[in-house]
Amino acid sequence: MLRSLRLAALLGGLISSACAWAQTIDAASYGYPLTNPFEATIATTPPELRPELPSDDDITQSDYSLNLRPERAFTLPDNFWPVKKLKYRLARQDHEAPLMFLIAGTGAPYSSSINEYLKKLYYKAGYHVVQLSSPTSFDFITAASRYATPGVTKEDAEDLYRVMQGVRAQHPRLPVSEYYLSGYSLGALDAAFVSHLDETRRSFNFKRVLLLNPPVNLYTSISNLDKLVQTEVKGVNNSTTFYELVLNKLTRYFQQKGYIDLNDALLYDFQQSRQHLSNEQMAMVIGTSFRFSAADIAFTSDLINRRGLIIPPKYPITEGSSLTPFFKRALQCDFDCYLTEQVIPMWRARTDGGSLLQLVDQVSLYALKDYLQQSPKIAVMHNADDVILGPGDLGFLRSAFGERLTLYPHGGHCGNLNYRVNSDDMLEFFRG
Amino acid sequence: MVKRLLIISALLACGMAEAVEETAPRTSVIEANNVDSDGFTEPLKALKFNPGLDQREFERSTLAALTVYDPLESMNRRIYHFNYRFDQWVFLPVVNGYRYITPHFVRSGVSNFFSNVGDVPNLFNSLLQFKGKRSMEITARLLLNTTIGVAGLWDPASKMGLPHQSEDFGQTLGFYGVPDGPYLMVPILGPSNLRDTGGLVVDYSAENWINFLNVAEVSSNHPEVLALRAIDKRYTTSFRYGQLNSPFEYEKVRYVYTEARKLQIAE
Repeated sequence: MLRSLRLAALLGGLISSACAWAQTIDAASYGYPLTNPFEATIATTPPELRPELPSDDDITQSDYSLNLRPERAFTLPDNFWPVKKLKYRLARQDHEAPLMFLIAGTGAPYSSSINEYLKKLYYKAGYHVVQLSSPTSFDFITAASRYATPGVTKEDAEDLYRVMQGVRAQHPRLPVSEYYLSGYSLGALDAAFVSHLDETRRSFNFKRVLLLNPPVNLYTSISNLDKLVQTEVKGVNNSTTFYELVLNKLTRYFQQKGYIDLNDALLYDFQQSRQHLSNEQMAMVIGTSFRFSAADIAFTSDLINRRGLIIPPKYPITEGSSLTPFFKRALQCDFDCYLTEQVIPMWRARTDGGSLLQLVDQVSLYALKDYLQQSPKIAVMHNADDVILGPGDLGFLRSAFGERLTLYPHGGHCGNLNYRVNSDDMLEFFRG
Repeated sequence: MVKRLLIISALLACGMAEAVEETAPRTSVIEANNVDSDGFTEPLKALKFNPGLDQREFERSTLAALTVYDPLESMNRRIYHFNYRFDQWVFLPVVNGYRYITPHFVRSGVSNFFSNVGDVPNLFNSLLQFKGKRSMEITARLLLNTTIGVAGLWDPASKMGLPHQSEDFGQTLGFYGVPDGPYLMVPILGPSNLRDTGGLVVDYSAENWINFLNVAEVSSNHPEVLALRAIDKRYTTSFRYGQLNSPFEYEKVRYVYTEARKLQIAE
């Protein structure tokens, strides 16, 4: 017994000295085929390297809705009728099982493709799974957010906690053995704050919490994402916009292929073809999708709080009215603009807050450093080439999580989540 | 000799393509270049940014994409909301019921059957566009699926490498240069435009006239066949209202529909 302990200590010492505690996986043994971070982010894993998952037909699941903010039914304009209640999806096992909460990333709804993938993965492994929208998503802001100004992570986590409690109250007969929590991207940051909140509220006593590709410094992440649309893209000129450029490439790709076939491998195959996008073009595609999220957040938050920055307060909206003029205005607002125009003023007014730096400290993982260091139940998986990170962020993760950080050499932002090695690691972590 | 020439020319072509487009190399150049002491590879360093970080390409592209000819926008938006409600309260519950009462092989048989019937207008439109190869492929599909696949209940053709390819009369019209016309939200059917709605009517009447496998005749006497077809159509269409989860879903759907049709016509 003593000998084995000593051996373990020796081994542990060796490993720790070799890689400063964190489990760093080297590229050769990892074997992930997409070494380009932008390509990985967009195309994700080639289908043959993904884990085997059950089809939707094999899963007992339904969408439910929670009426958390009934007053919004009266204050929201008519054409927002679908988002007056918060929807979520529950996949249930037919026997007692642990329950997994999944939190979506920036702007993503409960049914986002990564959430769907994670649901299938955990459902197959025998968990009940609840998929939740991100606090930054359109439906969550309108139906569940108290201040409707997402970005202050602590407040977002409180909103999420209420939602989770609501979910549990709606299914009193669901036989749950214990609770687990996971999230990806911004949802991972939320998950860390939710777990912290749970330490005092004790509604769930999460047994294990897994953060997948969380932002470390939220401000670095949004600056990086805002910056992605500033790349110099070849082929964009006065007569061709960026979208036309990409669509022309896609058209030529299909013409060469001979037929249109939309499937999981499409993007991967497209990147292998002559028409593939350059790094700058891919960065622009990623940046564009985040700018659309920023526009949705800025518009929705402004509308609900009647700030009058994008849409005049009391502007009459019916089901027939065009929102295009406001869309045009919202598009000009990136994350930085949303932060300075909406989040900071509200945060200052409500909490007597100070500078941007203070806000960044409060809303990023920094705020939880002590908690993360002392909580063996929380682990993080990240990639060395993730576009939402900045210099020093991995150092923070190493010091806060120690050996509970698993660092993959490739994968971009969440591109390797559906790689078989990653899915095995995730299941292994929750198995304990 | 010929082989070597081929390889050389292929290499040259690749080189030319690279030179013309000056694209970044296929695999990342980031590796090993700037890995910091944490092991972070700084992906953004590999990109060439606009020096002032003040380009407005995202805004320019997106604003241009919002200019779709949509004179009936107000009515279209109301129909969009009607469709959304109809989908949530009638169509999807019915589809879920269908999914609940039928085993998987029945549903796929139904889908294959109607897809096979739909190959008739596909063939006819592909001929009208002088697409020789595609017409041959669709003919082969029809023959195989109707015989070996027992009236289309199975789809052996796809397994033999003849994938389903759809061509409708809207595409044929587009092929001959007919413009889109105003964007239309058709009740229950969803996004369309004047040209494609006209095309739909033509396809439908052509199908009735040809009466392949007696489907048209039977469905005129038994409306339940039509209903089953509608349910199958919804079952096989993955689009859900609200799935974009954006206050601007109407604009986004409009743009995607318009561009997708352009792509289908060009291809």
